[in-house]
Amino acid sequence: MANLLWIQAVCCGGETASLLNSDHPHLLAALHTLDVAMLGHPYLHRQTGAKMEQLLAECAAGEVHVDLLVVEGATYLTVPHPTSWATGKPLAEWIRAIALAADYTVAVGTCASFGGIMACGRNPLGATGLQFYRNERGGLLGADYRGRAGMPVVNVPGCPAHPDWIIGTLWALRANRLTASDLDRFNRPHAFYGKLAHHACPRNEYYEFKASAAAYSHQGCLFENLGCKGTLCESDCNERLWLARTGSCTRGGFPCLSCTSPVFPDRFIPFFETAKIGEIPTSLPLDVPKAWYVGISGLSKLACPERLRRNAVSFKPAWRGKEAQSDDGNPDHHV
Amino acid sequence: MVTRTITFSPFSRLEGDLQVNVEVQGGQIASAHASGTLYRGFELMLRGRDPMDAIVITCRVCGQCGLAHSAAASAAIRSLAGISMPPNASVAVNVMMAIETVLSHLTHFYLSFAPDLVEPPCADKAMERFLPPGGRSISRALRAREDILGILGLLAGKWPNTLALQPGGTTRPVDASEIRRAHGMLGEFTEFVRDQVIGCEPDRWLALRTAADLDRWLGEGSHAGSDVGLLVALALERGLDKIGMWPARFLSSGGWPDSGGRMLTRPGFYDGHPAEMDPARIAEHVKYSWYDPSEGGVPPFDGESEPAPERTEAYSWTKAPRYAGQPAEVGPLARLVNGADPFVMDLLAKYGPSAFVREMARLHETIRLLGEIGPWLDELDPEEPFCRETPRVESGSGIGLVEAPRGTLGHWMRVEGGRIRNYQIITPTGWNLSPRDSEGTPGPLEAALVGTPVSDPDRPAAVSHVVKSFDPCLFCTVH
Repeated sequence: MANLLWIQAVCCGGETASLLNSDHPHLLAALHTLDVAMLGHPYLHRQTGAKMEQLLAECAAGEVHVDLLVVEGATYLTVPHPTSWATGKPLAEWIRAIALAADYTVAVGTCASFGGIMACGRNPLGATGLQFYRNERGGLLGADYRGRAGMPVVNVPGCPAHPDWIIGTLWALRANRLTASDLDRFNRPHAFYGKLAHHACPRNEYYEFKASAAAYSHQGCLFENLGCKGTLCESDCNERLWLARTGSCTRGGFPCLSCTSPVFPDRFIPFFETAKIGEIPTSLPLDVPKAWYVGISGLSKLACPERLRRNAVSFKPAWRGKEAQSDDGNPDHHV
Repeated sequence: MVTRTITFSPFSRLEGDLQVNVEVQGGQIASAHASGTLYRGFELMLRGRDPMDAIVITCRVCGQCGLAHSAAASAAIRSLAGISMPPNASVAVNVMMAIETVLSHLTHFYLSFAPDLVEPPCADKAMERFLPPGGRSISRALRAREDILGILGLLAGKWPNTLALQPGGTTRPVDASEIRRAHGMLGEFTEFVRDQVIGCEPDRWLALRTAADLDRWLGEGSHAGSDVGLLVALALERGLDKIGMWPARFLSSGGWPDSGGRMLTRPGFYDGHPAEMDPARIAEHVKYSWYDPSEGGVPPFDGESEPAPERTEAYSWTKAPRYAGQPAEVGPLARLVNGADPFVMDLLAKYGPSAFVREMARLHETIRLLGEIGPWLDELDPEEPFCRETPRVESGSGIGLVEAPRGTLGHWMRVEGGRIRNYQIITPTGWNLSPRDSEGTPGPLEAALVGTPVSDPDRPAAVSHVVKSFDPCLFCTVH
């Protein structure tokens, strides 16, 4: 059995909440499969007060072996962490010490990975991720940090992270199936961050023909007008799906804000509309050259079927199978 | 008499960082100070931003009730823009808020409150169910979540941190087949509640009108063996009906409005008798909070949140909200008292505003809300719209008051030149765990802890029961 120490730093508890939403396996079954004991966890541990501080000291000193250190939330660089969660020492210092003693350190959520929401705007308190500050290496532990098993901090961002990403990453580490080559340029596992949120979005047909929603609750693509960053967001949200596999951001009718990105949230302003120069969005889909985008999107719009053109700006199917007629008026050619 | 000072920090199985300092005389708490210790600065983060950013940012105040925060932010923008939502959206918001509340209450019960009742030595049956991490009831409760989360997924896409609640309505229309599917998932979840939580049909539970009804219920069938039956026995055995009381006043903004504006639970301020609730009577004090000082109580629209950690008389990052100058308790008990729920009113009359009644009100509300979700789903009309457009507003002010799982949540927003000039948030736990105000009057928890027995400082069971009966969320409190 391995020891897992879960520390909540400057956070909202959202990663813990997301983890409770795990299905197949639910959380306790997952812990059983992972064969880990929770040394500390906001819900599943049983230490209070001085006992907690003693536990942290033992972990830092190596007296209690930490196989997996999981951190939820950012840490403050410029001011001492004002929490007394562990009395007597700023939490950032405990994390530094325990990370050196742990086999692996895992940053769960965008705040722990990159600073995230806690580091947005002017960031007066100097919130940072564990090994990145936004998209720059460094952070609390420094670019050269390696756990005892030789790995940098494994980042599992997302606001929140999908429970599968958290459990799947822990599983891969426990099974010795995750090495540095399995991580991308921001130290995220390819397995979960190697796709785009755009993949398997049910609005993809609208995207292809640039049939765009004009307002929220419309069925059309959210990219052109309503601020969707799904074509930039490295995650598998629309394939994996959330909440008992029933939803995702774009399935919920609101824009993906690319919350797995190191520059979330401020690089994705405005959140709810698409910044454009003339007709052209300023942030084009990942890897798509501007000239091609302009050419193809112009052609797609011309080729857009009437069914999509009408449904894109309606909250319900305005064009239904048998009532539909094709452009030549022949009911047999209906779509 | 010897006075001992004891610090409890951190509390286990609690949302966020709470420190409680108590003075003990003759084995009882003589005075208590509650401190929220994690500062993040959300209100300052919002200054200068687009008003719509508040929906994205404030839901990140709290991982467990972020939907309520985005509902409050949307409501504030709605009031700023002077618009309303279509009826479908009001109903969809109710369903989503009810699900968030049911999940929050049950998470609290199974992962936070019940485990404290089974610290060994304790009846084997109770330990086997409630002892973390592997207690059988805890495990079943975690597995049952997916049934009701699925409905949230259909309506909200993702959670925590959905953006489906916009000022003009909800972003996710549903069709008839999805409503059908939601009913199916609700049915599965209700089965879990029936078999595990209360051991009877929800209608049987909802027929309870008095404390004597509860006694009769316990004697019937296998009710005493349900998780709630077990809770009642353990709680009374441990005297939870005798701790956690204070001269309670109850505040509620009214929850779950229908499209006609009627509420499932009425707004009000209950101080021994019901009275209207007027948001203009809410003010915040910072005399004992680490912020730049101000005189007396400040209305939220004028509130400031400049941190001042060097202030020595301060002891919390939580401000002290007051209604008509008085501390007030919010949450399920406050909602049901203001809503004149007969069962809860009778429990209150018999057991007082104790830890036991607070917990029972939370469980009772869970069953009541669960019963509303089905009829609400049937009110959704797939042929009618879910969302209207929100006009941009360059200047003005807006207020959003909602009932979050833990109680009344308010967002106050002032906009100038199309940008947020000031944003103030008053959270449920801000009310319940507030520090002393300018007059030195303690907050509800601080008052409720007085008289609580403390025998072993290393195992502060009674203190923990009182604290957790308020279901504190320290993430929300200090934002």
